[in-house]
Amino acid sequence: MTGKKVLVVDDEIHIVHVVAVKLRNNGYEVLTAANGAEAYTLTCDEKPDIIVTDYQMPLMTGLQLVQKIRENDAISDIPVILLTARSFAIEDDQRRNLRISECLSKPFSPKELLRGIEDVLYRQTVTQS
Amino acid sequence: MKPARNLSVAFILIAAGCLLLVGLAQWSDSGIGVGGVFAGHTKSGILVLVSRLIGAMGVIWLGWFALNLAAAIMSIAAQLQPDNEHHSKASPNVAQTFTIRAFRFGSVINKLTAAISGRLSAYSDRIADLETQIEHLQIQIQLSKSQKRNIEAIIYSIRDAVIVTDESGRLLMANEAAGRLFGFDYRDSQHKPVADLVGESKREFADLLSRVAQTKGKVKRRQIDFLEAEKPKSFDCIISCVHDGNEQVCGVVAVLHDVTREKEIAQMKNDFVSHVSHELKTPLASITAYAEMLCEGEAQDEQTRKEFYSVIHDQADRLNRLIEDILNVSRIESGLIKVEKKPVSLTMLMQEQLRMIKGYAEEKNIEVISQKPIVFDRVAVDKDMMSQVIVNLLSNAIKYTPSGGSVRIESEVDELARVARVRVTDTGVGIPEDEIERVFDKFYRVQANKNQAKGTGLGLNLVKQIVEKVHSGRVFVTSKPGVGSTFGFELPLATAEALETV
Repeated sequence: MTGKKVLVVDDEIHIVHVVAVKLRNNGYEVLTAANGAEAYTLTCDEKPDIIVTDYQMPLMTGLQLVQKIRENDAISDIPVILLTARSFAIEDDQRRNLRISECLSKPFSPKELLRGIEDVLYRQTVTQS
Repeated sequence: MKPARNLSVAFILIAAGCLLLVGLAQWSDSGIGVGGVFAGHTKSGILVLVSRLIGAMGVIWLGWFALNLAAAIMSIAAQLQPDNEHHSKASPNVAQTFTIRAFRFGSVINKLTAAISGRLSAYSDRIADLETQIEHLQIQIQLSKSQKRNIEAIIYSIRDAVIVTDESGRLLMANEAAGRLFGFDYRDSQHKPVADLVGESKREFADLLSRVAQTKGKVKRRQIDFLEAEKPKSFDCIISCVHDGNEQVCGVVAVLHDVTREKEIAQMKNDFVSHVSHELKTPLASITAYAEMLCEGEAQDEQTRKEFYSVIHDQADRLNRLIEDILNVSRIESGLIKVEKKPVSLTMLMQEQLRMIKGYAEEKNIEVISQKPIVFDRVAVDKDMMSQVIVNLLSNAIKYTPSGGSVRIESEVDELARVARVRVTDTGVGIPEDEIERVFDKFYRVQANKNQAKGTGLGLNLVKQIVEKVHSGRVFVTSKPGVGSTFGFELPLATAEALETV
């Protein structure tokens, strides 16, 4: 979806870069952050349409970041896609409580991630209308 | 009996006295002058008559007494010889005694004597037998006691906690380990219900014991966690029934083996595996993502394509280094690597590695200083492993020092502590105090310095394993963020014998 703002969060600089290239090639505006704190500040300031974040990050994990966002009314409705290299899946009730739209495991396909983002944004516009 | 007896004795004496008097009187009558003294007194006829009467009565009484005595002896003989056909009653009939026994008195005395002797020897044989039996029994008792002591000693010395109860849950035996674990006096708690001894907090265990007793024979094995002396511990608990000779359940025995350490190790292994898989997936994620981008034509210009190829290449490299390091660390940890310790000069190793790292240092414009070589530092080490340690420390120092800085390596021999010490000091970014404890952990990378340079997070862990595990040395580090760090290690000095076996 053109014109939509995506925030990409990962402490691995190459991952952030490849996702940014993919999204920008497909008409998205991309914001990037290397850690949870940076990501939270950017979310508050820029109010992206969707957030793509890694799970395993130092100081603040992806889940902790989502928790923080959900607690802030101004930004709590922003949909989130979680990327994780961890072998165990996030538990269902955790996903539900934090309202995580999708979980993708690493290594991931940028094509699939794009499709996922598109799906989530589409569902979002449908529910909002 | 006594007054009657005394009376009998007195009567006998009086009768005897009278007889004597009568006799003397007769004697004096016949003219022998000795009895002259009494002659006057016994002249009276009545006196003589009375004396003779009493005397006769005395004789008759004596006779009666003798006959009674004989009868009593008879009855004793009869009791001792139950096969004697003439004696069916215990108390003798006087007439029988007098008429029949009088003639047989002599033979009866013989028989009596024989009977008594026979009896006595039989009894003494019996007593001898009994004494032997008692001796045997005493020996048996001693043996049993000593066996019991041996078994107790064995059970007491078992390091695992052992508890034996009867079929109703009362304690029969427990060893010291059990007493310590459950908090009761193991020597002094016999017959107390186990549920009371182990306490409410360990109720699960007591219930398990009673369930096993009830199911009669099924062995139960459970992992139970509880606190021993305030520390949480895990125990592998095996409970089985004790059977008596008739296959009946007569007790329950529980053995608790401390598996806390094993559990910890298993957990650490688990953590390591999931940590490793995460670390490996990270560079792999970059490789697959960039490769897909290239395949899909998302790299729209040559510059971007070059960039992508380069990332794939670097990440593949990183993955390879990671796998190598993981294997190295694992092999050293599990002791699979062949270690060849020889006396080596540390300074010589240092010089070698300095030569190799020169290029890298010059690239980054970092000055490397080394002291004048010490001629005689004697350590018995594996040359390849120690080279790895030194190169890791040197390359880390250069890696994390900005351009224009310096790295110094020095060694010393501390005779007092019996160690050779090597120190690598840099003027680099340093390590924050709250992270310095963890730098030697597997995969740990200091957060602030992560993007400064590439790293697997295993280099220092490898150094620690080689120095501490393989060579019984010690690693150390001090640092100040923004100023620099000093990493070092100590190795025990080689003994004279080790030096001789070159």
